[in-house]
Amino acid sequence: MSTAPEHPPDERPPLTERATVRLHLVGTALVVGVGVAVVALVGSALFGDVTAAVDTTFALGSLVFGFGLLGWSGAVALGRGIEAMQDHLDTRTGWTEPDARRAMTRILGFGLGVMVGTMLVGSVVFGSIF
Amino acid sequence: MISTRFVLKRLLLLVPVLVGVASLVFAILHLSPGDPALTIAGERASEEFVQQVRESLGLNDPIWVQYGRFLVDAAQFEFGESFIIQRNTPVSEVLTNKLPVTLELAIYGQLIGISLGIPLGILSAVKQDSFTDHTTRIGALAGISVPIFWSGPLLILLFAQVLGWLPTSGRISVLYNVEAIRVTGLVTVDTLLAGEWEMFISAARHMILPATVIGIYSMALISRMMRSSMLEVIRQDYMRTARAKGQGAKITVLKHGFRNAMIPVITVIGIQFGGLLGGAVLTETVFAIGGIGTLLVEAIKVGDYPIVQGTVLTFAFLFTLVNLGVDITYSILDPRIEQ
Repeated sequence: MSTAPEHPPDERPPLTERATVRLHLVGTALVVGVGVAVVALVGSALFGDVTAAVDTTFALGSLVFGFGLLGWSGAVALGRGIEAMQDHLDTRTGWTEPDARRAMTRILGFGLGVMVGTMLVGSVVFGSIF
Repeated sequence: MISTRFVLKRLLLLVPVLVGVASLVFAILHLSPGDPALTIAGERASEEFVQQVRESLGLNDPIWVQYGRFLVDAAQFEFGESFIIQRNTPVSEVLTNKLPVTLELAIYGQLIGISLGIPLGILSAVKQDSFTDHTTRIGALAGISVPIFWSGPLLILLFAQVLGWLPTSGRISVLYNVEAIRVTGLVTVDTLLAGEWEMFISAARHMILPATVIGIYSMALISRMMRSSMLEVIRQDYMRTARAKGQGAKITVLKHGFRNAMIPVITVIGIQFGGLLGGAVLTETVFAIGGIGTLLVEAIKVGDYPIVQGTVLTFAFLFTLVNLGVDITYSILDPRIEQ
């Protein structure tokens, strides 16, 4: 259940380095998400109803973001426990808590990117963000 | 002693979990077909009236504004009013009435699972590869494999229809008015608090079958986990040393082995609680107990979105709280976890 450190405290990289790695992880996924949202909305503007497309794209983005956030916090909260359970039941699948966290960070970053991208395009279409 | 920092860190994890669940609920409700304004106004309402309802619900605002408002409301556990199931009743009130029903079921189910699963797991490990071990393991596999919607009706058939020992459905006999003595909403507790022994016996008899159905599944997983964990502990050097010093087998297992073997089992109990809440939906349906599970299914069917949002977030909140409790227990058993 608990989140034991990946490295012993004295061997862990400095805080700034860790922060940079995490920002890079989220940032890359976020930029990809923004790009996907913009392309999807521009495409739908050419062929159909923009308002409905904005609503659907944002909802899909929040779905991905929610899934990623839930998966990330689930991995943090239960990851070690799940690993221990798999060890005890001899049902190891190669799933690890750090890998799950990284994957979920990318997913939530992508979802957030789609939401931000939709907001940007939507605010251009509707005139203002609010 | 548990450090405040550890508890605070675990409490902070509640935030992303709830935001994640809220985002999922928001997305699913927006992507699902149907218009809440039309549901409230009715099929025959005029277009102007539907527009008025849309405006009053804020559905004409940009979707990100709706999302932000939804998150703020969710943080305050404010979901508005039910517009179909209990029209114009605040969702919090509906949940307050229904939640104890499911909680009572889950708590008793978990108690049955723990009180049977742990001793069976220990017995199975201590008597490894014996007849007892094989029987327990087959029982555990059967418990995990048999679905609730099958074991429930079978138990009703045997204990209620054939033997006539237990009631088939409900929480308490219809002869009693449990609302008059409501304190916690848990009928077994309320009847005890009121000193109404006949009512308590009736409530307990009604609880046996549904709690057993949930408990069997729980027991199966716990006993399996306990067995493998205890087998690992039994082989440790300190256990052999204790035996070599002349300590009895039972004392060695219960004094030295039990605490260490419990760590992964407690993890499973916590993870499983979510499954118990989910399982309660089926159990409530089979035994006609109107809890939060059946409320959720009904709300999804009729499109009562505020109830759906409230119920799902309450489930998530409960699950994370239970896991916080598990983490704290975990750190008591093994203080190194806090590091």
